[in-house]
Amino acid sequence: MIDSIYLSGWGALGITLFMFLPFTAVFLYVIFKKSFSGAKPSDTPASKYVTAEWAWMGFVTAVFVVVNVVSIGYMPTVATATAKASGQDIPTYSFEAQSWSFDLPEMDIKAGHPVRFSGKSLDTMHGFALYHPDGDVLFTMMLMPGMDEPTSLVHTFKDPGTYTIRCLEYCGLSHHDMYDELVVKP
Amino acid sequence: MLNATKILQGIPVISRMFPVDESDGLEEINSWPALMILTSFVWLFIAGLLGVAMPLIQRFGLDTEFFYRALTAHGAALAFPFTFQLMVGVGLHRNGGCSGKAIKGWLPAMIYICMNLGAALLAVAILIGGFSVSIVLMYPLPIVGVETGQWPMWSLVLAFTGIGMVLYTIILFYPWQVLRMSFFGEKREDLLLSERSMNDPGMLGMVLAALVLIIMGTPLLILATYVLVALFGIIPLDAVEFFTRPVVFQFAFFVFAHNLMEAMALMVISGVYATMPLYLADGTRSLYSNKLANAALWILLLTSFSSFLHHFITLFPNLPATLAYHGNIMSWGTGIGAALTIFTITATAWKHGLRMNPGLLACLLGFVLYILDGASAVVTSNVAWAFQLHGTMWQSGHTMTVVLAMALMWMGILYHHYPIMTGRMLDDRKGYWFIGLFSVGATASALVMLFGGADGMPRRHADWAQGGWMVWGDLILLFSIPLILGAVYYAANMMKSRQAGAASTSPAPAE
Repeated sequence: MIDSIYLSGWGALGITLFMFLPFTAVFLYVIFKKSFSGAKPSDTPASKYVTAEWAWMGFVTAVFVVVNVVSIGYMPTVATATAKASGQDIPTYSFEAQSWSFDLPEMDIKAGHPVRFSGKSLDTMHGFALYHPDGDVLFTMMLMPGMDEPTSLVHTFKDPGTYTIRCLEYCGLSHHDMYDELVVKP
Repeated sequence: MLNATKILQGIPVISRMFPVDESDGLEEINSWPALMILTSFVWLFIAGLLGVAMPLIQRFGLDTEFFYRALTAHGAALAFPFTFQLMVGVGLHRNGGCSGKAIKGWLPAMIYICMNLGAALLAVAILIGGFSVSIVLMYPLPIVGVETGQWPMWSLVLAFTGIGMVLYTIILFYPWQVLRMSFFGEKREDLLLSERSMNDPGMLGMVLAALVLIIMGTPLLILATYVLVALFGIIPLDAVEFFTRPVVFQFAFFVFAHNLMEAMALMVISGVYATMPLYLADGTRSLYSNKLANAALWILLLTSFSSFLHHFITLFPNLPATLAYHGNIMSWGTGIGAALTIFTITATAWKHGLRMNPGLLACLLGFVLYILDGASAVVTSNVAWAFQLHGTMWQSGHTMTVVLAMALMWMGILYHHYPIMTGRMLDDRKGYWFIGLFSVGATASALVMLFGGADGMPRRHADWAQGGWMVWGDLILLFSIPLILGAVYYAANMMKSRQAGAASTSPAPAE
């Protein structure tokens, strides 16, 4: 359940709507009640405003803390650092991007085994986004030219199949043609 | 010296929207704002046409080059000469009436000329020269594009000249004008409509925003000036090698671009704080708590400075994980400021009741849209989600939502200022039609873009059919219809405004 929230754009959408929809419902209720159905001042005692203020800010702070603390376990940066610290031998998938294609290595990638994706751009800003065969974005990386170190992270594929690689940083008039494939074996 | 009233009067047909009244003695706070606002609506019209063109180009399979030109010009027109200029016009008018300072001299003229001439040069470079780099330049794409024959060198020079002029307006001339009016110069009783001090959240936000623009924009202004001077051949290109390194340019650009949006947020929230109390049912003219409102502005200010790092989360490890997480947390910190604002506005409405008016409703529904944008922004600033959402339509949805939210709020605030500027009243019925159509169109379009982003739809991408995303493009086109109709209602209302004194819930001019 938590995996599906943090490892998918749909999970991000769910959290956004979780924050937006209840706010909108309450806010619009208050606005319309206080303007169109009896636009008169309230006789609510001051202490209740203070209680509401603390309750509201407590709730917001709790959401802030829980969402961000739980997310740490799902950050590709943390997974990459953990893999590096473990000392295990992780094969590197080194690639280069140049308008408007990827120079990809010949390499066997198997599901269940970690792979380090490591890339550089040779001309302008490019992206390297990996799409699951079902269309979800697994991760995207920004490749900025002129950097000493390549952009890099470790990923472990769960499912075999044909994945799509796309540039997600606008890079000129044929940006939309900059895509390729990557096959993950069982 | 340019005379704004004469320029306004010389504009055919649409000048009827802003018939500045020369007899009321307020010309010195009315003319330049009115001219800026009117011109901003011309840019909204251009941006609207280009915005509709994008899904149409894809639906009918037209040349992808047109898509990228429309994309770049649409973003540039919507963000700067429309939204920013609208904000400048309404904001300066509020500042003038609340501080009793005239808006005249060379500075407002420079704001107007540099913003509009700069935007026009950029538009020519894009639409005729083919300079298609998106609103954030994607540096070093402008130069790579010339090297690879995508657009000519003249379009690059023209575009950078235009961008430079716009930057000087945003980073130097406008903040200078705000600070000059807020702290210096002669206060004139005849121009003072409703005095406000710096403790008033409605004034504080405007000054904080001006300081943010100067402080966070100056590095980019220096860099852009050097690059421009080199492009004109005044100094050798080698002399600006450091400034033209992608990492240097990108960081300077995003420190500014991110804080520009935060400064605009400070401005518009302060505008709502200033306007809402004028429409309270009990006539107290005060927010639930000025302290809470000011705390929200300060939190927004302090957290926004370094939250720009979230733009580079996916650059790991060149942006170390620690800095990425710092950007993550500071971005969510802006949400704490927003939560305080939500409480202040809701508690103010509950405690005092509201005297509803189209202007106030536009502010409040714009605020709803602003919160949708805030929610989408903090989610995509989380490191885990950034790796799935960065570069998708989610980001475009976020940008478009904040721009439309701010536009809706400023258009609402303008409802309050309009009678003072023109001596004329707007029709409430047309006003409610505008708000209904615009809110539905903007909210639905924003949600569709977020759905598209969650579905992996790339932003700035000329082939939505490639991944089966055309359905999201069609829905964006569909919901742009009420958005455009809303804007048409707004313009029509101003074209047919009537003399003050007729029945309306708007306060009388000069209240």
